[in-house]
Amino acid sequence: MKPRAPELEMLMTLAQGGDQRAYAQLLRQTARLLRPFLARQLPSNSALDDLMQEILISIHKARHTYDASRAYAPWAYAIARFRLLDFLRAHYADQLVHAEEWSEEIHSAADVTESALDYESIEQEIQKLPEKQSTILRLMHHQGLTAKQVAEHTGMNESAVKVAAHRAYKILRKILKP
Amino acid sequence: MANLDELIDGLAREAVALKPAPQPFKLWLYLLLAALLYLAVCLGVSGLRPDAAQAWQQPWLRAEIGLLFMILLSGTLSAALLSFPDLGQHRALVRLPAWLCAGFGVLLYFSWRSQLPPAPLPAHDYQCTLCITLVALAPASSMLWIMRQYACTHYRAAGSIALLSAFSIGALWLRLHEVNNSIVHVLQWHYLPMLAVGLIGLCLGRALLKW
Repeated sequence: MKPRAPELEMLMTLAQGGDQRAYAQLLRQTARLLRPFLARQLPSNSALDDLMQEILISIHKARHTYDASRAYAPWAYAIARFRLLDFLRAHYADQLVHAEEWSEEIHSAADVTESALDYESIEQEIQKLPEKQSTILRLMHHQGLTAKQVAEHTGMNESAVKVAAHRAYKILRKILKP
Repeated sequence: MANLDELIDGLAREAVALKPAPQPFKLWLYLLLAALLYLAVCLGVSGLRPDAAQAWQQPWLRAEIGLLFMILLSGTLSAALLSFPDLGQHRALVRLPAWLCAGFGVLLYFSWRSQLPPAPLPAHDYQCTLCITLVALAPASSMLWIMRQYACTHYRAAGSIALLSAFSIGALWLRLHEVNNSIVHVLQWHYLPMLAVGLIGLCLGRALLKW
């Protein structure tokens, strides 16, 4: 059931006075109030839970700025929207970085495999890499496994394998640069 | 959900009685009084322009100073509202300085068109910008510090408005202190830098007011 607004205002006023039970109740009702709004904007439930925690912490930090003469819901929504925008910005920035890394990786994989160098000729350099990266390159280029197969073999997820391989290519390119 | 319950219990345990922030309009009055007091002190130290009585007869100058004063009023109001997450639930008032700045631009244009023959340019130029900046430093830093005590959710706009208000104090002070009737000069060295500072405020707000 959606909490009634005057109840929220009363709880916040009590909370500002130091009433811990009223404050806990207010935070629970706030979470219930904001959940449908956030659920409409977010891709997954786990993201929603993470963001909800951030919002409640922000409400806690900013609770002195609530003016008891005004409605509580717009104040709480303003904080929720603020954190939601931050969250979405960070989320999409991460996805962009990922996409850029993958595209670079495809190019660098082409560089390494299409060059005159084969696995054997740079095996020594590959072995100098951190163990995880050298294993991944060995599996991909010596045994010819795909990123998905390497992921199954090593127990990592596929994107982590791709990122690790990409980092390994970067190091190799530096080492092998004439 | 279990995590959320734990978090709520933890936050509730930390809740102690706290002093609520002043209401947004009280904060505005506080900012405005401090700004006016500072302006009075600056003018007290430097003195009014010697031709003040004569200059005050010019309607364009009266309008310019009046509008600049309105920018100061609305800027401090906007800064006070922007210090609160919900903008004190007066969103429309926050945009007032933007409208007044646009009106100020129009006023300066007509003031320049009406100045025939144009008033001679003073011998100095960038020194005015420097003086305005020096006078505005204290109010700008105080205003940003005060705003940091609250919870800005529009930190870029808040930074910009804080600097704009502070520089409007500096611009008002110089206009009331300096003997100078050249609109071209005041536009170039007083008001355009003010706009530039407003843009700098967008970055400064992100650096100082994000929480």
